[in-house]
Amino acid sequence: MFEKEKDLVDAFVRGQVSRRGLLRGLAALGVTAATADLLINRATTQALAQDFDWQRHSGTGVKLLLNKHPYTDAMIANLETFTSLTGMEVAYDVFPEDVYFDKVTAALASRSSEYDAFMTGAYMTWTYGPAGWCNDLAEWIGDPEKTAPGYAWEDMLPGLRASTAWSGRPGDPLGGEGAKQWCIPWGFELNNLSYNRVMFDQAGVTPPQNMGELVEAAAKLNRDVEGAYGIGVRGSRSWATIHPGFLSAYANFGQKDLSVSEDGKLSAAMNTPESKDFHAQWVKMIQDSGPTNWSTYTWYQVGTDLGAGASAMIYDADILGFFMNGGDNAQAGNLGYAPFAANPAADAPTPNVWVWSLAMSAFSRNPDAAWYFLQWASGVEHALFGAREQDFVNPVRQSVWSDEAFRARMDKSYPGYVQQYEASAPGAQIYFTPQPLFFDLTTEWAATLQEMVADQVSVDEGLDRLAESVDGQLADAGLG
Amino acid sequence: MAVTADIDGAARRRFRIGTRALPYLLSLPALLVCIGILIPFFTAVYYSLQRYRLSQPWAREMNWGETYWQLLTDPSFWNTLQVSLAYTFFAVGLQLVLGLGIALLLQERTRLNNVVSIMLLLPLMTAPALAALMWKLMTNPNFGILSYFVTLLGVEDFRWASSPETALMTVVLVDVWVYTPFIMILLLAGLRSLPRQPFEAAALDGVPRSFVFLRITLPMLMPYILTAVLFRLLEAIQQFDIIYAMTQGGPGNTLMVFQVEAYLNFFQSTNVARSAALLLILWAITFAISNVFIKNWLRLRERARGEI
Amino acid sequence: MDHASRLERILRGIAIAAMVLFFMFPIFWILLMSFQTNETILRNPPSMAFAPTLSNYAALLTGRLDTAAGTLDIDFMQNLKNSVILSVFSVAVALLLGVPAAYAFARHKFRGSEDIAFTLLSFRFAPPLLVVLPLALYFQDIGLADTYIGLIWVYQLICLPLILWIVRGYFEDISPDVEYAYRIAGHSWFATFRRIALPLAGPGIAAAGLLAFIFAWNNFVFALVLGSADKQPVTVGALAFVTASGIQYGQIAAAVVLSIAPTLALAIYAQRYLVEGLSLGAVKG
Repeated sequence: MFEKEKDLVDAFVRGQVSRRGLLRGLAALGVTAATADLLINRATTQALAQDFDWQRHSGTGVKLLLNKHPYTDAMIANLETFTSLTGMEVAYDVFPEDVYFDKVTAALASRSSEYDAFMTGAYMTWTYGPAGWCNDLAEWIGDPEKTAPGYAWEDMLPGLRASTAWSGRPGDPLGGEGAKQWCIPWGFELNNLSYNRVMFDQAGVTPPQNMGELVEAAAKLNRDVEGAYGIGVRGSRSWATIHPGFLSAYANFGQKDLSVSEDGKLSAAMNTPESKDFHAQWVKMIQDSGPTNWSTYTWYQVGTDLGAGASAMIYDADILGFFMNGGDNAQAGNLGYAPFAANPAADAPTPNVWVWSLAMSAFSRNPDAAWYFLQWASGVEHALFGAREQDFVNPVRQSVWSDEAFRARMDKSYPGYVQQYEASAPGAQIYFTPQPLFFDLTTEWAATLQEMVADQVSVDEGLDRLAESVDGQLADAGLG
Repeated sequence: MAVTADIDGAARRRFRIGTRALPYLLSLPALLVCIGILIPFFTAVYYSLQRYRLSQPWAREMNWGETYWQLLTDPSFWNTLQVSLAYTFFAVGLQLVLGLGIALLLQERTRLNNVVSIMLLLPLMTAPALAALMWKLMTNPNFGILSYFVTLLGVEDFRWASSPETALMTVVLVDVWVYTPFIMILLLAGLRSLPRQPFEAAALDGVPRSFVFLRITLPMLMPYILTAVLFRLLEAIQQFDIIYAMTQGGPGNTLMVFQVEAYLNFFQSTNVARSAALLLILWAITFAISNVFIKNWLRLRERARGEI
Repeated sequence: MDHASRLERILRGIAIAAMVLFFMFPIFWILLMSFQTNETILRNPPSMAFAPTLSNYAALLTGRLDTAAGTLDIDFMQNLKNSVILSVFSVAVALLLGVPAAYAFARHKFRGSEDIAFTLLSFRFAPPLLVVLPLALYFQDIGLADTYIGLIWVYQLICLPLILWIVRGYFEDISPDVEYAYRIAGHSWFATFRRIALPLAGPGIAAAGLLAFIFAWNNFVFALVLGSADKQPVTVGALAFVTASGIQYGQIAAAVVLSIAPTLALAIYAQRYLVEGLSLGAVKG
């Protein structure tokens, strides 16, 4: 780094120069914004090092198991910062999402000590935690010997901290009594509408406000927009079909996947009359205005279609709409975002959230070193860098959401995104009941939806059959 | 040969001692390598007799066959069996008809026929997982060339693997694309090795060609046909790559075959016991079929020897 | 068939043309796709007219994938290398173990020989997952997790029975008289095996090796379950081309082309052996 730049950045770190002043100053010195942020990140991270012994595990290394994802890209782009801060080497294996979770299961089930930490979602820890495959991170977070004072655990959004903690007793609320912190929130997504503003204008449609309007709007777009279908939602035979838009809307009607009795027994709750009405609307929406080969759709296809202009809107992860509004996508710049509450009687949206999190393998040979990586990767500095410069959104930290530079970036290129987020954040949480049969239940649910959409079974009959089957499996597993 | 009687005798003796131990020594390494792989087989048997979910380690216990009982009383198991059998039947049936037809067309050893038969071999050299990926691209509704052809034929909204009505047909089509050449090449080898006399005699007598085909060609080709079909049966009932890559068993449970269900049970539900039990049932089925195959094969060999 | 009528010849020609079209078209179409950008691929209706680009191949060869989310490192070349390592060594090991055993089964009718031979063949017919899933649970304990050796060992499930069966058939077809005479002349067993039996069975061994190579190359499930990212072959690697910022169809197509090219080239180059191996392996003994 040149002296002038270095002085300027150090002055910023000491609080003598504002961020804007710094960027202006650096720009005058011919440093681009992206480089400037990387410089600032290095410098502020170095500043961190002064009140905590980051070098304790210098010379050791950690190995990560990662999913191919923009979060991963953002982390890898900033990895040198970590290496220079701690003197630790980082190795990693990146797998495509199609096989990622199977690889994690295989590695952990074989008690492999190869990986120290891995990416996961909260749902997966409902298997990994009770199976004894990942560590309760509260032990590390609460230990001032091991965690830097600037880590600011309380800065993480409270709903996400709760969503990633669970006692391990089936049916117990997330983040409730005796909850163990199975993983650390890293980046997250909530489910709302992302839509093509050009197509909406063309068809004279405004963002729908409830399920009935959504079905109508999708049908109108499907009719009026040439070459695009009305609405993209996932449909593959997988848990991933249930958890985004579908469950968000379902929860908005006050519906649950399972009910928990006084004595902790679980039973299926998806065959209520309200649930049947909702399912009927959802199925009709896909039949009338969904993608032709809906039953193979994962989030990749849902996103690609929106980005390529093959669909007019999606009810899926907000960040998917975010990604599709950039890069070389045909519709980049045309997308808008809207919060969505399916129930006309509801006050606010209730998006189910997906939290990409970091967990520590119980078989790691050096958990303390692994924790050093985890706390850096989930720390404020990296979160700021990722949110300003990379696609590390949505941030899980309040301080990042308040960051001026991040908000300015979002408002400039992603109109309505922050508003969409703020309108739904209070209701955003995991709406599933934590229990070890999560994947059995949701996969079967998705298969049943596929049969309903294909008219192989009626909505009523399908849901009754699903509930019966789920009850049977819960009983078999000693949970019902 | 300038070898004295004694040396000859000694050599013979050594030769005999050698021969007794030698074949065992020669086959032992191959056997050991395979036996090593047998250990997981017994592990699978052990798992299948337990109640064993990775997500509930505390509930793990022996339950002696209860898993099998649960499977046999579960309609989804019967669906799996039915889908596996239907897949096998349609795939192998079509392959046989097509393979036989092509072999007959290419029977004569002309240069053109040889070139064509090599071209037809190429799909067999394509990994089934990649073939599935290719067909997935070709049937993509946005840009897939096959989807486009179908719309040219006036069929709107043809959904290929994503509709329960056509999903089985689509994966069978991929299987046919990959494996028809296998049957074709076996039958072609068979056809070309048939003795000429019966055909020449029939031609001289002016016997109608349909009669020649049904009464001479087909019976003489039968050993080849049986072998090819049995080989394909065993592989088709264990189908994984194509279906997993195309639909993961969906839509609904339309394509839920044994190995796909076992894979999902293991990795998604982490229900190790159920996964192992499913695979052992599949193994029992294939073992029965392969026994038939081996008996048939040994008989064929004896007969071939006898004729020569 | 000299009196085949004109009509019949035409019908035959049409049938052959239709077959070639059906079996060759997918390969041809993927090849075309691999020279296009997403933009031309996604055109509707599809069109043959496009300016060919090598960018998909360039991205694969250099391992840098340009996406909306930035540049992504994708190690397809590593996948290719893994496929080569796994296939070559699996076949080598299978030949080393299988050919002597095949010779033993062909030349010496010893007690239990048919049973052992049948046991070995039956591995070919066991559901692969039956073996691989339990292995996934304890490969770690025996230190074979994430090693080429562990994978090559499991690959023997496909290669060894195949080689054993085909080569045995070949040995049985060769008259033992020559070997016997050579032995009588005072040569050791090993010399006889090496100088006489092996060269005579050469074509059969080549055929079996080629087939085993192709089956190993095309395997999907072993490495998927047992290998870590840096041990995955092309069959798994080609599935890795979906990224969050959109699916790069051109690159998928190029990856498919690169993945099937070696086996296709082998098939064309060594077709005679292959055809022989296929028909021998299944039919003869």
